[in-house]
Amino acid sequence: MTRIYSPWRLAFVALTLFVFLMPPVWLFLSSLKSQQEIFQWPPTIFPAHVTLQNFIETVSRAKFLVFFRNSAIVSVLSALLSVTISVMAGYALAKFRFKGDTLFFLLIMSSLMVPLQIVMIPVFLVLRDLHLLDTLAGIIIAPAATPTGVFLMRQYITNIPDSLLEAARIDGTPEWRILLRIIVPLSIPAIGTLLAFNLVWRWNDYLWPFLIITDQDKWTVQVALANTVGRFGINWPRLLSMSVLSVLPVLVMFAALQRMLMSGLMAGATKE
Amino acid sequence: MTAAIPQQGSSALGFHPVPKGRRNSLFNLGWPYLLMLPTIALLVTFTLYPLVQGLMMAFFKRGVVVVPQVPSTLPQYVGFDNFLGLLSDADFQTSLVKTVAFVVIAVPLNIVASLALALLLSPQTRFFAVVRTIVFFPSMISLLIIGVSWRWLFGLNNGLVNYLLSLAGIAPVPWLEQDTMAQIAMIIAWVWAQVGFNMMIFIAGLTAISADYYEAASIDGTSKWRQFTHITLPLLRPTMAVVLVLSSIEAFKVYELVVSLTGGGPGKATVYLIQTIYDTAFQKPMQAGVAAAQSMVLFAILLLLTIVQLRLSRSQT
Repeated sequence: MTRIYSPWRLAFVALTLFVFLMPPVWLFLSSLKSQQEIFQWPPTIFPAHVTLQNFIETVSRAKFLVFFRNSAIVSVLSALLSVTISVMAGYALAKFRFKGDTLFFLLIMSSLMVPLQIVMIPVFLVLRDLHLLDTLAGIIIAPAATPTGVFLMRQYITNIPDSLLEAARIDGTPEWRILLRIIVPLSIPAIGTLLAFNLVWRWNDYLWPFLIITDQDKWTVQVALANTVGRFGINWPRLLSMSVLSVLPVLVMFAALQRMLMSGLMAGATKE
Repeated sequence: MTAAIPQQGSSALGFHPVPKGRRNSLFNLGWPYLLMLPTIALLVTFTLYPLVQGLMMAFFKRGVVVVPQVPSTLPQYVGFDNFLGLLSDADFQTSLVKTVAFVVIAVPLNIVASLALALLLSPQTRFFAVVRTIVFFPSMISLLIIGVSWRWLFGLNNGLVNYLLSLAGIAPVPWLEQDTMAQIAMIIAWVWAQVGFNMMIFIAGLTAISADYYEAASIDGTSKWRQFTHITLPLLRPTMAVVLVLSSIEAFKVYELVVSLTGGGPGKATVYLIQTIYDTAFQKPMQAGVAAAQSMVLFAILLLLTIVQLRLSRSQT
């Protein structure tokens, strides 16, 4: 028997906890300090006077709420779109044999090898030709098709028994009803995982909005953050409070769906 | 690990058989195509067509935007000049060397750290599950924010890291003010951000190793260290290969973290490939073709790594 709680192990666990908790906790604690206390040396670990001043100033700048709203709109709609089309494609690849199915599958998987970073310039031109530059629609639609999503859905739907579909077909159920009434309800666990992931991915995404948006009214939170940090003489009170606010939705979701996210990720990661 | 997605025995790219009879019973021949349409259309529009377009651009001298009415903006065919030009392009070469150095240092560190954490935190108790969650959490935060937190920690005269060092009597370290230190800071923050994700992959790999091996070894009186080098490491090799390739690909694409942690500085000390490509295309006139050629070099590297990964994950089964 191994002693799991040996003193050495616990010492290393304590060190690990310190290393991984310190950066986010320090960010959070600093954001609660007054503007003088933030820069005080030696620093205070816990704020001497907890104040929400930094948050109030960040939020009362009318634009921040706009950025937040933009991010929310983009992540929710893009995640929904992405999951919808992934279920459709995953279902087709899992349960149908059709001319070119292998080709389609390889096409989808091969796009895993082409990250946006490599095709930024031509993608920019495509977006321009489609009049999607400087539109939220652009950030919603352009990244929606994900090989990972299609792959996860295909794997999950494959395990739904064919007999269920056959029975429905014999009863004369139209194909779209089979999709909505059998496939979708039976795939809820996978759909939930994928939706949660997509929400986090889209919320955190910087590269797509960075490429698409210039108009400040359409900035997402991430673009606003990048612009705050990029300026000379960083406004730390603002940057810290903005960072905390922008992590908040992810933190809440992660706390709620932590098990699902971590196990779903494993299923995907060990597969690819 | 209980997976939300059911495991399937077949290999990643393998097709499962569909009953023959189905082929005939398909009354809606167009239906599967309709289901595929949105995904395929989007991938073609925003990934595959741009890739072809990017490859073509690499053979032309042009700016990003071409205006047909303005002759000076029209692309000029230059053959392999853009690629040959990279051989004497100091900016590109410096950033390529820096990126490779970043990958070569950060990736092994990442693997060692995530394997160590996996071994440390693998026990299946609630306490360790909580610790794992905390270590994993950075994978859920945007790299921009991770950069912001570390920039705040690494402050010269107001950062917590230098404060803690000062308690130990160490003089302030110019983390973000000096070239080498800034590169080290990038590696620290990057590994911190990636390690939780890779730890989870290693834990999945560790739990797949049968306890029988260790039991047999213990009965034989084999030391813990020998068990690790003779059982754990060899059996973990496929997992190791996956982590190696995935994290190398990730490291070659490093960009967002640079934006918020160093901004590429001090000077150009932490300008890596992606930033060079972007700046070449959008900040310099008529250099989009050169940037496309640079992209293709990076694509070749990523393609090679992906092929290696496919090979390795196939040989697993």
